[in-house]
Amino acid sequence: MTKKIYLSLLFLCIISLVQKFSLSHITLFDVSADAVTIFLAFIAVTTNQKTNTSFGFAAGVLTGLLTGNVGLNMLARTVGSFVAGYFNVPKESHATPKQKSRRFYAAVIVAGLCTNAILSVGDNPLGFSPGYRIVVFGFLESLFNLILAIILNWLFLRQSLAN
Amino acid sequence: MRKFFTLFVEYGTLLLFVLYCSIAFLFIRLEQDDVQGTLHNGGLEFSAAINEQLMQFSSLFTLKRENERLMRVNTDLLSRVLTLETSALDERSRKKILADTTFNASGFIMARVVDRKFSDRENMLVIDAGWRKGVKKDMTVLVPEGLVGRVTAVSENYARVMPVIHPDFKVIAVADSCGSMGILSWSGGREFIAQIEHIPISSRIKLNERLVTSDFSTFSIRGIPVGRVVRMKPDNLFYDVDVRLAVDFSNLTLVLVAPLKINQEKISIMGDETPTINKKSH
Repeated sequence: MTKKIYLSLLFLCIISLVQKFSLSHITLFDVSADAVTIFLAFIAVTTNQKTNTSFGFAAGVLTGLLTGNVGLNMLARTVGSFVAGYFNVPKESHATPKQKSRRFYAAVIVAGLCTNAILSVGDNPLGFSPGYRIVVFGFLESLFNLILAIILNWLFLRQSLAN
Repeated sequence: MRKFFTLFVEYGTLLLFVLYCSIAFLFIRLEQDDVQGTLHNGGLEFSAAINEQLMQFSSLFTLKRENERLMRVNTDLLSRVLTLETSALDERSRKKILADTTFNASGFIMARVVDRKFSDRENMLVIDAGWRKGVKKDMTVLVPEGLVGRVTAVSENYARVMPVIHPDFKVIAVADSCGSMGILSWSGGREFIAQIEHIPISSRIKLNERLVTSDFSTFSIRGIPVGRVVRMKPDNLFYDVDVRLAVDFSNLTLVLVAPLKINQEKISIMGDETPTINKKSH
């Protein structure tokens, strides 16, 4: 379990770096997919809510250090992870891979919306109105996250979710 | 106690969430307060204050050198101020002379008084214009206020002037309104009071009468103010008259030297008297 947590933390670091230095530059309507949220949603589905919240906090610290806005990122990622934790699939459940995937997608959407809403309220570099940022950017980012989550699930995560 | 731990285990996730959120809010607050900037500024102010104290302390050791430097600066500034003030004074005097409309100063030679010797008996001025500038012996020296004296010796660049307040100086003065004439001379004492001799008791001269030079003078042009009558005391045949001189000899800076007036024909017709006039002109 500890090994898994360390491995997950390493993955989190790598994904945060990838997000910062590559994915954040691939934008459409000034919005990019958030791989960190997808990773946190995956953790939320596969582990328990407490662990997931801690991962969200750690992810917030990492992304905050990379973006220079530590406090806001910590809050947004923690809240997003905590909310995504409600989509956790317990180990003893008999959920099918399809059901797990659906919960994973739901976790991605909800975590993305929460994270985006908090980041939009606290940080507004483009000067848009809060409503516009929360609704349009949140919706677009969640959509992009979902597309990326579907692709990743189809390519890599399906097996892990099934286990 | 057990209940507390039960509560903590039961709501552990929520408490952890609240803790994380609190930390996040704390960071947000710290970021808004610009702690780094505050620390940086505080450190900067602290180091600046220490440096200032050290500088003040070290400046004690260089105080002597600093004082010498300031003295040099002061000397330099003082010399500049003196030069400028002198130039301004000269310029003011020059303008004053040129602005005077009572006589035409264009044919006159302007000179500055560069030396003087004043006492209650022997007085002498030196001006910075000599024969190179056209100054000759017996030329009249004056200022717009009145007669100053007569050139007695000339070198290349300087000339010596015998002022009115010299015991050997004599000039014929004429009263402005009544035309009474007398010989003005200075017998020592106060430098602004001279005497006039040979004004007959029948003369209509009055107190405060203005006296000017006359055509009778062998060196001076006529009409130059000499002074005003301040005291008249009748004697047996003549008045004993005191004249307050028109020129303040204590603040002479710039003077004018009038062209030589001596008329050769006048001198020759005076015959034997000429040497006397040259020796002791009136």
